[in-house]
Amino acid sequence: MAGRARFDFIHFMHYVHLPENQKDFPSLWVDFPNKYFDPEKGYSLYQRYLSELVLADKLGFDAIVVNEHHNTAYSMMPAPNLIAASLIPQVRNAKICVWGTPPNLEYPNRLAEEYAMLDVLSQGRLEVAFPLGTGMEYWANPINPSTARARYRESIDIILQAWTQDGPTKYYGDFYTYRYLNPWPRPVQKPHPPCYIVGTGSPETIDLAAQLGFGYASVFVTKSRARELNEKLRRTAAEHGHHISPEQLPLQVITYVAETEQKARDEGIDHIRYFFEDALRTTPTFLAPPGYLSVEQLKMRAALADKLHGKFDFDNVNESFFVAVGTADQVVAQLEQWGEQMGTNHFVMLAAPGNMPNWKVVKNLNLIAQDVIPRVRVGAAYERRVAAE
Amino acid sequence: MPAQPIPAQFKRETHTINGVKTIVLTAGKGEPLVFLHGAGIWHGINFALPWTEKFRVIVPFHPGFAESGDDPAMNDMHDYVMHYLDLFDALGVAKMRLVGFSLGGWLAAKFAVAHGDRVARLVLVGPAGLRGKERPQGDVLSLPPEQIPALLVFNFDVIKPYLPENPKDLDFMGERYREGGTLARLLWENPYDHKLPRYLHRITMPTLLLWGEDDKLLPVKTAELWRQHLPKAEFKTFKGAGHLVLDEKREAVDAVARFLS
Repeated sequence: MAGRARFDFIHFMHYVHLPENQKDFPSLWVDFPNKYFDPEKGYSLYQRYLSELVLADKLGFDAIVVNEHHNTAYSMMPAPNLIAASLIPQVRNAKICVWGTPPNLEYPNRLAEEYAMLDVLSQGRLEVAFPLGTGMEYWANPINPSTARARYRESIDIILQAWTQDGPTKYYGDFYTYRYLNPWPRPVQKPHPPCYIVGTGSPETIDLAAQLGFGYASVFVTKSRARELNEKLRRTAAEHGHHISPEQLPLQVITYVAETEQKARDEGIDHIRYFFEDALRTTPTFLAPPGYLSVEQLKMRAALADKLHGKFDFDNVNESFFVAVGTADQVVAQLEQWGEQMGTNHFVMLAAPGNMPNWKVVKNLNLIAQDVIPRVRVGAAYERRVAAE
Repeated sequence: MPAQPIPAQFKRETHTINGVKTIVLTAGKGEPLVFLHGAGIWHGINFALPWTEKFRVIVPFHPGFAESGDDPAMNDMHDYVMHYLDLFDALGVAKMRLVGFSLGGWLAAKFAVAHGDRVARLVLVGPAGLRGKERPQGDVLSLPPEQIPALLVFNFDVIKPYLPENPKDLDFMGERYREGGTLARLLWENPYDHKLPRYLHRITMPTLLLWGEDDKLLPVKTAELWRQHLPKAEFKTFKGAGHLVLDEKREAVDAVARFLS
């Protein structure tokens, strides 16, 4: 059953033209002044980033991935569906993954409509993920963080009802009342486009993915934690009668490939540093608006926060997170090892980290496509283990 | 070692109101005086001690604050009014002198508007809840928690003994975060009560409005909004006092006692 693994290219579309005094700002999120966004430079960046996503399709990546963040130089995609729509005519083969709009930040009927539009426009190539949204999104949007999870849960229910039941139907919930839930168009894929939950491993989101049989992508969790989460999802999903396939466990890997290990480090590390030290820099208050986390989670995260948002140390990051920087041989071996450990054959290549210039991204994508993608084989050990259970 | 926020004279009772554990502190004898605290009570109630010489002082902790329990279903101020109707019945307090500070002032006004027959005299101390032209006034949800203590007082030494020595004390942070969550349930969508002015004319009992002149959180100018709707209320301000005017000025505590006598 071991076959070619699935490779996605994820782009965050950072706004990288920061002022010289950017380090003086404790956060590049929420309250980082938007006067620093220059629309002319923004135009060039959009052109460049879109071309990189289109290139990944041409090079044979299986999917391209976009996501959503607000009020931040971290991302130029507050509305990822607009990016997905503009990519569809140019991305001819790859799946289009919108991973995604927090369903509680948008009217759920509208999100069901927009995703259905993208699925029809792409002839059934859409995949979606339902993130709860980072704490920062709740400072930027008018949704109450203390009911975020309940509203999130209800919104997903409404979207699934809209996609899977012939309309018009009714919905009477705690947050929304629909007298005529009857969205046009409907998605191509049946019963609906593949869905994932994206999260940082809170028990509620794992349980939800298990209940619904959705995939689960953990982000910004340490390696050992990610492995635990995958195990937990497979186990809990089985209790709900769902089999979680390796493809449903996408693994996000910061990747940079070059001719030698030293060259890969020389060319890649500064941009990974920018990703952690600058793009992700924010404050504890923005990370955890009141009511967004349990008190226990808040204390736990206060401990982890320094690793993610503090001083950058490549060895520390390399040790804690999935980072593959080296030659193609090294990266292939690394991915195969992680694939077996994590029980996945689905890699999401974070191949344009931080402020990496276009030439390096193009080189990186080319080397991954030529020398990594065709050679990675995972799944055999996992399938044997499942068969044995 | 942080100072003891609750004086030993106060007796502590636990009530269960609609399933919510509610801690009530009581001291003194006489007519009941109920104090409704603001969006945090870690600075304690030492200021209330002089009142116990004349009154039976009752200080409940709101659900979602201090040692009282949580109820996520309590998500608007009306739920708190209903909670206090039940609690006052359970305590056998038919009529009371009601003192509300900040968030508790808003709550006291909201209670008095609907249940004026149970309020003999009303004191509003730096009450939150009204939206003026200049904003934000008192929107504590817009402030990083670590910045809040300094904004509460004119003289920081007054509250310093109640704060942990380590500003990153995880337990203190966690307790404040939990209370912030309670506040978010109540006020995230809207930190003001647009309907309250419409009904403030129902406050017909003798009313005292009291403010610290150096309030950095809810500037004393905000009092004008209240005075527009409560033209008969007495109005007193105190120099050299911030939002926590009762903690900072014994004269303010005495003024409340005189007004309630």
